[in-house]
Amino acid sequence: MMEKIISLIKTDFNTTFGLSSIAYSFKSKKNRWQIIVFGIAMLSLIPTYFLFVKSLGEIYDIYSQIGQSSMFLLLGFLGAQVIVFVLGLLYVMSKYYFSNDLALLLPLPVKPSYILGSKFATLMFSEYLTSLPIILPFIFIYGIRGGEGAIYWIYSFLLILTLPVIPLVLSSILVMFFMKYTNIGGKKDLIRTLSAVLFIILVVYVQLKINTITQKALLQGNDFLINLVKDSNLLVKKLGLGFPPSMWASLSLSNYLNIAGLGYLLIFVSVGVLSFIAMILLSEGLFFDGLIGNIEVSASKGKTGKKMSIRDSVVQTKPYLALAKKEITMLFKTPIYLFNSIGGVIVVPIIMVMSTVTGGGGDMGSIIKFVETKPEFIALVGIGFITAMGMLNSIGATTFSREGKNFWIQRVLPIKASDQIIGRILSSIAIQVLGLAALLGALAFIIRLRISTIVLIVILGLLGSIPMTQIGMVIDIIRPSLKWTNPQQAMKQNLNVLFGMGLGTLYIGGISLLVFNLINRIDINLVFTVLAVIFIVSTVILYYVLEKLIVKQFEVLE
Amino acid sequence: MLQLNGISKSYNKGAIKAVDNISLDIESGEIFGFIGPNGAGKTTTIKMIVGLLKPDDGDITIGGVNVWEEPLRAKAMISYVPDSPEIYDKLKGIGYLNFIADMYGISRDKREEKMEYYLDMFNIKDAMGDIIGSYSRGMKQKLVLTAALMNEPELFILDEPMVGLDPKSSFNLKETMRQMRDEGKTIFFSTHILEVAEKFCDRIAIINKGKIVTVGTMEELRHHAKERESLENIFLELTE
Repeated sequence: MMEKIISLIKTDFNTTFGLSSIAYSFKSKKNRWQIIVFGIAMLSLIPTYFLFVKSLGEIYDIYSQIGQSSMFLLLGFLGAQVIVFVLGLLYVMSKYYFSNDLALLLPLPVKPSYILGSKFATLMFSEYLTSLPIILPFIFIYGIRGGEGAIYWIYSFLLILTLPVIPLVLSSILVMFFMKYTNIGGKKDLIRTLSAVLFIILVVYVQLKINTITQKALLQGNDFLINLVKDSNLLVKKLGLGFPPSMWASLSLSNYLNIAGLGYLLIFVSVGVLSFIAMILLSEGLFFDGLIGNIEVSASKGKTGKKMSIRDSVVQTKPYLALAKKEITMLFKTPIYLFNSIGGVIVVPIIMVMSTVTGGGGDMGSIIKFVETKPEFIALVGIGFITAMGMLNSIGATTFSREGKNFWIQRVLPIKASDQIIGRILSSIAIQVLGLAALLGALAFIIRLRISTIVLIVILGLLGSIPMTQIGMVIDIIRPSLKWTNPQQAMKQNLNVLFGMGLGTLYIGGISLLVFNLINRIDINLVFTVLAVIFIVSTVILYYVLEKLIVKQFEVLE
Repeated sequence: MLQLNGISKSYNKGAIKAVDNISLDIESGEIFGFIGPNGAGKTTTIKMIVGLLKPDDGDITIGGVNVWEEPLRAKAMISYVPDSPEIYDKLKGIGYLNFIADMYGISRDKREEKMEYYLDMFNIKDAMGDIIGSYSRGMKQKLVLTAALMNEPELFILDEPMVGLDPKSSFNLKETMRQMRDEGKTIFFSTHILEVAEKFCDRIAIINKGKIVTVGTMEELRHHAKERESLENIFLELTE
C-alpha cells in the first residue's frame, strides 16, 4: 500500500513540476534561455516585495506600541491561510477534476483516496510557494525584533510546515461537494460556468477594494498605517475567531515559553492531521461522484437523438473565416479559455466602471458633469482601454499554444500564412467586440455618450486591438507551448501572455506619451487621425513579420 | 508520384539516427506498404513526407513538387492520417469536417457527396452532431479518415490505419484504397499487420534501425530471403 502511494506521489510530482523535464530542458539552449528570462521576471518583483516587507516592519512597530504584537502574527497566519484557501479552490478544481492523467489513473487498482492523497501532496508543495513569501516576513520580523528564543523558531518551523493543510483541506472538501452536487445531467456546465463567473467577479471586487485601500494609503501617508492597524485590529480578531486555526498558530508563537504555547501548537498540528484524514475518508464517497460525468467518454451514437442531415449542415467558408470560427468555438467551449479571455473582456470593463461609481463618494456627480463636457477625453480613454484589452484577452499570445497536440492539423493542411494571420486576428476581434459592447454599455450607464465618441471608440479601439493581437501572435509563434496536458497551461500558465503584456505596455505607453504631447498642440481630430495611422502602419508591419515567422516556424517546430 | 532522395533525420544532435539515408520511388497507382519493428523509423519517415518534420539531409518530392520548397502545393495533393487521432475535442464532428474541407477549398456539393458516402460507410453519420470529445478512439479514427478522404488526395498517407478500426470498417477502408489505386492515386501506409501488407500491397519496404532493408513486390521480397514462405518469416529474418 505504501509503495503505491509513494509511487503515485512521485509520478505526480514529476509530471507537475517536471523535475526530470526541467533537467532535460536545461540541456537545450533555447529552454535554458526561457528559464533565465523567467528568473529575471521573478527578480523584477523583488522591489515590490521589499516594500511589502518594509511596511510590515512598520505595522509590527505599531502593534507592539499598543501592546498587541500577537495580533501581528495573527494577521500573518490569517493572510497566508486565506490566500492558500482561495488559490486552493482553483488548484483543487483543475488538479482533481480537470487534469489529463485522471483518465490513466482511474482504471488503476488504487482507491480514490490514494489518487486524491497524492494530488493533495503535490498541491501542498505548490501552496508553499504561495504561503512562504507571505508568512516568512511575519515570522522573521516578530522573531528578530522581539529577540525570541530557539523554541520560537522550532515552533515556527512546525507551524509553517503545516500551515497550508487546513485551508487546503477546506477547499478540497468544498470543491468535492460542489462537483458532486452540480454534476446534474445537461445542466452541469451551465451551473459551473455561472459559479465561476461569480467567483471571478468576487475576486475582482476584492482586488478593487484592496486598490482603494492602497490609494487611501498614498493619500494619508504615515497616519494610514496607524489607522489601518486600529481598524483592522477588530476585523482581524473577528476573522481570527471565525477561523480559529490562525488564532491557534499565533497564540502558540506568542506563548511559546509556557505550556499554553505547546498546547496551541499541538491543537494546530493535530487538527491539520485530523482534517486531512477526514478529507481522505470523505473522498472515498465524494470524489468519483463529481468526477464521473467529467471525463465521461460517453459512447456517442448520435445521442442527440435527431437524425443528422448532412445537406443542411454543409457550409463552405473562406479558409480564414473557417479558422476564425474554429478559434471562437474552441474559446467558448473550453471553460478555462472562456473565463480568462471572454469572461475577462466582459467582466473587467463592467467592474471598472461600476467601481468608479460606487467607490467615488459624493463628488462623483460633478466629475461626471465635467467629463461629459470633454467627449474627446472619454474617447481617448475608451480607445486605450479597448486596445489594452486586445492584449489582456490573451488570445493572440496563446493562439498557437492553444492548438497543443492538435497543432499537426494546422501544419499538414495547405493553409496560407495570410489565412492563419487574418483568421486568428478575426477571432480576437470578435471577442473584442463583446468587450466593446460591455464597456460602452457600462459607460452609457453613468455618462451620456455622444454618437461621435462611440464611433471613435469602436473604430480606433478595434484598430488598436489588431497590432496588440499581432504582437501576442509574434511571441507565440516564436515559442509556442504545445506540450500541455491541461488547457490552463496554454492560457494561464503561459509565459507568452506575460511577455505579450510587457511588449503591449511598451506599445501603448509609447503611443500614450505621443498623444499626451500632441493633445495641446494640434487639433484633437488630428490626434485621432495620427492614432489611426499608427495603428494601421503597425498592423501592416507586424503582418509581414508574422507572415515570415509563420512560414519559418511551421517548417521547424516539431 | 512520391520520391524520397537520401533523406536522413537524427534526434539529440545526431546521437540517435532515426532515419538514415532512405531513398524510395513510388509510382502513381500503387499501394505501398511500409513495415518495420517498433522504433524503426516508420513514423519519422511519414512525418517528413507530410511536412511535420524537416529532414536533416535529402529531399522529398510529391508529383514533382518539393515538399519543403513549395509546401502549400505539396500539401494540397496529400491527405494524412496519423497513428493517434488527436483532433479538436470541442468541435462537433460536422464542424471538424467542414473546417478541413474549407482548408482544402472543397466545394459545397462535393463535400456533401463525400461526407454522405464515407460517413455512411464508416457508420458514424448519426454522431456528427456530437462533440468529438464524446467519441471513442475508433470513431475519432473514422472521422479523421473521412476528413482525409473528402479531399480525394493524389497521395494518401496513413500511419497504422487499421489500429482501432472494427473489422467491417477495416475491410471498407481497404476496398476504398483499392478503388483509389484503380483511379491512379497513390497510397502509402505503415502497418504492423503483416497479413494486410502481404495480401494488399503492390510493393512493400521493410525498414529497420532507420535503413531500408529491402523493397519490392512480395515476389521480389521472397528472392531476397532464405525463408520464403511468408512475409512474417522474411520480416523476422531481415530485421534480426
